[in-house]
Amino acid sequence: MRTLYLALKYLAVTLWSGFVIFPFLWMLTTSFKTANGVTGGATWLPWLQYQPSLGGWQSLFGGAGGVNIVKPYLNSLVVTLSGSAIALILGTLAAYGLSRFSFRAGPIRNGDITFFFISQRIMPPIVLAIPFFLMLRWLGLLDSLPGLILIYVALLMPIAVWVMVDFFNTIPRGLDEMAWMDGCPPVTTFLRVILPNVMPGLVVAGMFCLIFGWNDFFFAFTLTFTKTQLLPVSIVALNSSVTPWWALSAAAIVSVAPLAVLAFVVERFLSRGGLAGTVR
Amino acid sequence: MYRQKYIFLLPGLLVLVAVILFPLIFTIRVSFSSWDVYNPGLNYAGGAMYARLWEDSRYWEALWRLSLLSLSTVLIQYVLGFALALLVWRDIAARRFLRVLFLVPMMATPVVMSVIWRTIFHESLGPLNPILEALGIGAQPWLSQAAHAFAAVMIVEIWQWTPFMFLLLLAGLLSLPSEPFLAARIDGAGPVRTFLSVTFPMMGAISVGAILIRAIEASKIMETVYVLTSGGPGTATETVSYYIYIRGMRDFQIGYAAALSLTYLVIMAVALTLIAKALIRLMVRESRA
Amino acid sequence: MLVLRDLSLTEGGVPHLAGVSVEAEPGRMTTLLGRTGAGKTTLLRAVAGLVQPQSGQISLAGADWSRLPPWRRPVAMVTQQFINYPHLSVLDNVAFPLIRRGEPREAAREAAAAMLGRVGLAQMTGRRPAALSGGQQQRVAIARALVKRAPVLLLDEPFVNLDYKLREGLREELAELLQSQSGTVALYATTDPREALQMGDCTVLIAEGRVLQAGPPCAVFGAPATLAAARVVNDPPINLLAAEITQSGLVLDHLGPQSAGATGRALPPGRYTLGLRAEDIRSGGPLPARVALTEVSGSETVTHLVAGALPLVMLERAVTDHRLGSELGLMLDLGKALVFGADGALIPKGASHG
Repeated sequence: MRTLYLALKYLAVTLWSGFVIFPFLWMLTTSFKTANGVTGGATWLPWLQYQPSLGGWQSLFGGAGGVNIVKPYLNSLVVTLSGSAIALILGTLAAYGLSRFSFRAGPIRNGDITFFFISQRIMPPIVLAIPFFLMLRWLGLLDSLPGLILIYVALLMPIAVWVMVDFFNTIPRGLDEMAWMDGCPPVTTFLRVILPNVMPGLVVAGMFCLIFGWNDFFFAFTLTFTKTQLLPVSIVALNSSVTPWWALSAAAIVSVAPLAVLAFVVERFLSRGGLAGTVR
Repeated sequence: MYRQKYIFLLPGLLVLVAVILFPLIFTIRVSFSSWDVYNPGLNYAGGAMYARLWEDSRYWEALWRLSLLSLSTVLIQYVLGFALALLVWRDIAARRFLRVLFLVPMMATPVVMSVIWRTIFHESLGPLNPILEALGIGAQPWLSQAAHAFAAVMIVEIWQWTPFMFLLLLAGLLSLPSEPFLAARIDGAGPVRTFLSVTFPMMGAISVGAILIRAIEASKIMETVYVLTSGGPGTATETVSYYIYIRGMRDFQIGYAAALSLTYLVIMAVALTLIAKALIRLMVRESRA
Repeated sequence: MLVLRDLSLTEGGVPHLAGVSVEAEPGRMTTLLGRTGAGKTTLLRAVAGLVQPQSGQISLAGADWSRLPPWRRPVAMVTQQFINYPHLSVLDNVAFPLIRRGEPREAAREAAAAMLGRVGLAQMTGRRPAALSGGQQQRVAIARALVKRAPVLLLDEPFVNLDYKLREGLREELAELLQSQSGTVALYATTDPREALQMGDCTVLIAEGRVLQAGPPCAVFGAPATLAAARVVNDPPINLLAAEITQSGLVLDHLGPQSAGATGRALPPGRYTLGLRAEDIRSGGPLPARVALTEVSGSETVTHLVAGALPLVMLERAVTDHRLGSELGLMLDLGKALVFGADGALIPKGASHG
């Protein structure tokens, strides 16, 4: 009975692992193909079923018939990193304020303000797309990096607030008070005493910001056109019947690789119990 | 008491209010206009857009399709995610490697993966049909028939987002106290019994949280549909977000799209609240912890 | 001198402080004695600036503190829960306030090391507070509070979470350490009357947000001004006997008439309350009582008895084992009793009457 149970376990794990790897494997082999490897039907094994070439990879850098994703890649990097950084800073500050002090604006109190921040994530992108479009047009920031960064900051900040408020709440207020009595005004207290004690929170929040920032398609799609392009948009733009699959696959690998690395970081965090409490 | 506290809250709050709140209010105003390509600008059309929305069967069908799609995928993701979390929770070889592997899909850019899935589902050149033929199931008209297209979207969503559910549930499992499990072992409970009486009830609150978070994200689905099927064939996989995108961004009927969006937002908020309440009553009551 | 004048603080309809006035002199230990919830912590936090009283004034050497936020007040505080900076080493913990003040890092660290040596933690300077035991963590907190030589030192039941022996040892250390800081005003809050008696140069009794009495310990303990004060100041609790002085003499409510000169004083007829300390009741006397509970603590025994319908508490400075339910004869040394008038105020010995 026990061996049957064990066998089932490993079977299940194998099946799902296969399911997970399947598209990645396909991506990998396809990126090395040429027309011969594609038009005859699906092929998997290099040299045995098709002749591998680096054409797909080379085309990433431009050239005739190439797709040049270097610029979009860099744009994505800039927008994701700066958007996440700013969102993290503003969000952490706001979270600390909400955790420590009480605010009042008529009937609106701390809990409502926190809810306001977090509820932004519920907003379907489509609802925001039109106003964002009109707003950026009014500001003259359509199709530009700063415009996109502004939008990303607003979209990613709720994530930072959501994560950091919980982390701040686990730190006893006595610590703030001790710092005050040792001569630290609130801002100094925040920077020198509280912040060093919520580092794991910053890591988690930062990670989520990076993931959602890098992977965003919709807003980049609706708010940029020709001058500024982000990676996901440029890859989707390739998704016409003309574009060779090998270029597509190579671009996809390049796009997906950076965050796959994050999976390691997340797992380490998970195994150390870092994420307990994020699901309220 | 301390004036310095505003330094903390205001910068973030102001950005949020400026970037999201005002545009949202503006959208409400736009929904009462008939702004489109032919009459650009903010006129006043009363509730005309809303009246039109009421009659628009395509919209309501899209809503129905979205509900079907999200609820079924979230449910499947929950079951699979829970099973996976249990599998790599303990007592298994290469546990950490498997955890990393299972996490990867949710890190991969969804749109980009949808593009790849499109090549996979390709009926003549994609690798999926040959495998199905080899298994004896036969090639499927993945993207050219309604039910299959729907299934294709579901498969992609499940591949992409089960890891997310998996992550939340595994984090929950790892945070459970060990005493009840020791007690169950001493009482001689087998794995199934332990799961039903100990594990599942204790995960009640966490399950509700994970399902809700995932449901909220699932209801926004748009990118997969856009890339994989473009809402097709016909309107078979057209979800609300996609339909609004068509009306707003493609047809540029901004006034109408605004009305559609806001109605959608309200419906979703209400639906999610109801689902949340129902879930809490259903699942948290089970947990005695 | 630290002057607290008429401080009042109400939160959520509950008055935590109701017109509290205290004067504390530098170089002396002023203890705030009261039950849990009496307002001691609130008072200390008000002095620190962590809570704002709605009315009243706090001033040090004439300088008004009302407008100063905590980070501008020269106070140091040690709380019940061991609060140290988790992300800093023990040495950096103690050096922190000095560095914040602007002292050069090296000098600050040396001073911190010296102070840590004096509290016996010289070996632990490199560790993080979490790696230390409770007593050690509290000593770090004390070292940090003392190293900055603040004019006002606030201690809120600092040893209450530590074991008995540790408590005694640390009390002595603290007293020694304070010897060398003669300009410091020290406020020490406690619920333990014995601790207050031992530590303080001046004892302030607090109950329900009010000051009941203030003065040198012997005066406060020997002559509590009111019944409420007597209750606060005595542990084990004082026995309060309702009595009446009639033409024929003293009549205790539950115990009947007593011998004529029992109290050793002449009092006019009327209602009184006699306060008899637990140590002034002895076994081996005429009053029948049944044992309800016996607690042995150290080298003393506290016994709860019931005489008729009257509950009594007896303290013997010996370890005795009175069986539950057994009958004892008690002798009440009424000559030592405190006498309180009908209004609850103490009638001092030797006061003239009539």
